[in-house]
Amino acid sequence: MNLQQTQWHNATLWMVRKKRDNLAMQIPEWEELRRLASQIKMHTLSHLDRYLVQFTDNAEANGAIVHWAKDADEHNAIVLDILNRHKARKLVKSKSMLTEECHLNPFLEANGIEVVESDLGERILQLMHAAPSHIVMPAIHLKRQEVGKLFEDKLHTEKDNSDPTYLTRAARQHLRNEFLTADASMTGANFAVADTGEIVVCTNEGNADMGTSFAPLHIVSVGIEKMAPNHSALGVFTRLLARSATGQPSTTYTSHYRKPRQGCEMHIVLVDNGRSKTLGNEAHQQALKCIRCGACMNTCPVYRRKGGYAYSYFIPGPIGINLGMLKSPKKYANNVSACSLCYSCNQVCPVQVDLADQIYSWRQQLDSIGKANKIKKIISTGLTCLFTRPRLYNNILKLAPVINHIPRFLIYNRLNGWGKGREMPPFAKESFTQMWKKGKVKK
Amino acid sequence: MKVGLFIPCYVNAVYPEVGVASYKLFDYLGIEINYPLNQTCCGQPMANAGFEQKAIPMIKHFDELFESYEYVVAPSASCVAFVKPRTNGKIYEVCEFLHDILKVNKLPGKFPHKVSVHNSCHGVRELHLSSPSELNIPRYSKIKNLLTLIEGVEVFEPEKADECCGFGGMFSIEEPSVSVCMGQDKLANHIATGAEYVTGADSSCLMHLQGVARREKQPIEFIHVVQILAAGL
Amino acid sequence: MSSKDEILAAIRRNIKTTYDLPEIKPEGDGYTDKIKQFTEVSRSVAANVVVLQEGEDLNQCIRALYPEAATVASNLPEITIQTIDPDKVETPHQLNGTMLGIVKGEFGVAENGCVWIPQNVKEKAVYFISEYLVILLNKTNIVNNMHEAYEKLHTYDYGFGVFISGPSKTADIEQALVVGAHGAKGVTTILI
Repeated sequence: MNLQQTQWHNATLWMVRKKRDNLAMQIPEWEELRRLASQIKMHTLSHLDRYLVQFTDNAEANGAIVHWAKDADEHNAIVLDILNRHKARKLVKSKSMLTEECHLNPFLEANGIEVVESDLGERILQLMHAAPSHIVMPAIHLKRQEVGKLFEDKLHTEKDNSDPTYLTRAARQHLRNEFLTADASMTGANFAVADTGEIVVCTNEGNADMGTSFAPLHIVSVGIEKMAPNHSALGVFTRLLARSATGQPSTTYTSHYRKPRQGCEMHIVLVDNGRSKTLGNEAHQQALKCIRCGACMNTCPVYRRKGGYAYSYFIPGPIGINLGMLKSPKKYANNVSACSLCYSCNQVCPVQVDLADQIYSWRQQLDSIGKANKIKKIISTGLTCLFTRPRLYNNILKLAPVINHIPRFLIYNRLNGWGKGREMPPFAKESFTQMWKKGKVKK
Repeated sequence: MKVGLFIPCYVNAVYPEVGVASYKLFDYLGIEINYPLNQTCCGQPMANAGFEQKAIPMIKHFDELFESYEYVVAPSASCVAFVKPRTNGKIYEVCEFLHDILKVNKLPGKFPHKVSVHNSCHGVRELHLSSPSELNIPRYSKIKNLLTLIEGVEVFEPEKADECCGFGGMFSIEEPSVSVCMGQDKLANHIATGAEYVTGADSSCLMHLQGVARREKQPIEFIHVVQILAAGL
Repeated sequence: MSSKDEILAAIRRNIKTTYDLPEIKPEGDGYTDKIKQFTEVSRSVAANVVVLQEGEDLNQCIRALYPEAATVASNLPEITIQTIDPDKVETPHQLNGTMLGIVKGEFGVAENGCVWIPQNVKEKAVYFISEYLVILLNKTNIVNNMHEAYEKLHTYDYGFGVFISGPSKTADIEQALVVGAHGAKGVTTILI
């Protein structure tokens, strides 16, 4: 991102953070809700086998068909098989980070299925052949003019009209046709309720509901960590989710899918894809509590300035750093530096995921997998050498002021990251230790 | 009450006046305070960079050095936040100690200036020096409370009062672009308050912001909060 | 072993510590005036709230709100201005082009302006495809918050149910709020 984009991105996401603060402060029991949400998640995760079985039994009793997928490939194969059995050629999807994780769209397209994303942001990105840069506001990195140009090209909108209302209406028209002609619909799930066997999907646009209201087939992709024990747990989560995500009191639609539509089929694919393994990783299992609200991204000072594309994992920001490391530490280790350890993410997280502590912990593991930053390692080793030798340290303290007289070009060059945009602080003529020894402190 | 003074490495070398001010404050308050020699660094820079193992000998050294003291105080929130959970918890940041343990309610100093308080991340979110902006809890600020004891000081807070300044230890050199960008934004928010000084409990953040300010030739000054509290001593 | 068995076995193998389910009874006072709170929040999310006055005719009230709605879908017996009965369409597609849907909500939620609508028509499409939506709600049926709402949900047997709070919306282009994404472009809740 250039400077202007950075400033806009930063300011816009900060505005979302402020909206979140505004709503959170209106709920006196907010912190208690966060505590409860975290405890409910920890309980559910630590009894996940039981809840998955209960959910499956109830969902099947409701008339849904439940599938289990160990990994992305199995998930994709199951979805394709369901579509093929129904001779479905066009699939209309609502937003699902899980299907991004599984790379479902390219797989289905390679197998002759037309896939239509229906969330406006996701549709924009699909038309651009681009990936989301935020999990809740997927196209937040784009300017309206870019969307205007894209729609001009793809949806034949007026030239140079980039008014958001105009463009949204154009997408509404275009996607309505897709909803009405789709053979199948697909949604993700915000929650899967064990004791009722229902799926809960939260949207503002109504796209999940439009999709499922017309097509005769509804496929739900749901990560196994999305289980909620019962309605009473939903009471806690639904109070937190939209307020944390976008600063709304609720999403416009909180839809509860319990039975298939009359004469239609509902398939639920429960996906593991590494989650059961994460469960066994006590230092990082809390990442499974995440309800994908994106609040940690909006508050993250680094994410706000770097944007989602600066991260190599498909989920960016604090939660993405951690999920990427859980997926493949070697592949995604480069994201771990994108954190100043300010801990703001920990405190906005509605389910109290210890995001910053986990990033800290991943950093400790980088050296052992050969991914430690070389300069940081050299400095750390050097400093350790210095700080474990008090006499050497004291001698260096005495000598340090000499650095103040080193010519500028030797200090401010590209090897010195600090010198980029910052002056070095001058060393004091006498260190505190020297002053103390000379009796200049105690008078 | 036997109190040991810990002066973090970079304060020792770059900002010794912060150590001097800390000493003067405690001396004025009648607290017996000593500076054990042979102290070095708390180990945080290595740990945050991913080498906590390398910090362990320093923590051990720290523990031994201050074993005989009832309390340890240090004018650096970040270092204290690192040391506290890794030792027996008797280390306090100076403001925290003045506010919570000594419950100081009178100081003789005058500082007739406008100051903008820099709420450092670890001070706020780990040491609880003020209420983090994210949480729905009663608002408070121990630093602001203490500053009200000083005559003439006018206290401001920047917009985004506890957003990170971008220092982050070795983050500042591993991610220099975003670190500098955060510093520039933070500095602009401090300057926008109209303050003459930026003050706070972490010299590390102040050093970073000062570095940005000097490069941009901004006239704003930086002063550790302990120096204001010790004004006139 | 099936994938199901493998996943369950992996989960069982990996659970090391178990945690209890907390008692979910959050503190929090109810609203002194739930109707007022419901109305204010609904308006803040771009919904319209109208109180049907004593002796006022419901159909006339709706007509006055949406004078130009040519196609009106409703299966409610008290509604006489409907032109389509969503119970009688063969496919939901026939509801395309509906200008106004009139549906019944079971209860409202004061804290966030949600109205609970368990599917009470043959085609739920009417809730979403109508350009504008009118929700009839008994004003004595407003609960404080989502905890109370979910307690009440148990009393409904539904295959599909939805909490709706206001018209559909998006901010996916530059975070500029646009009301009317895929669902209703406007929602009026009539408190009866």
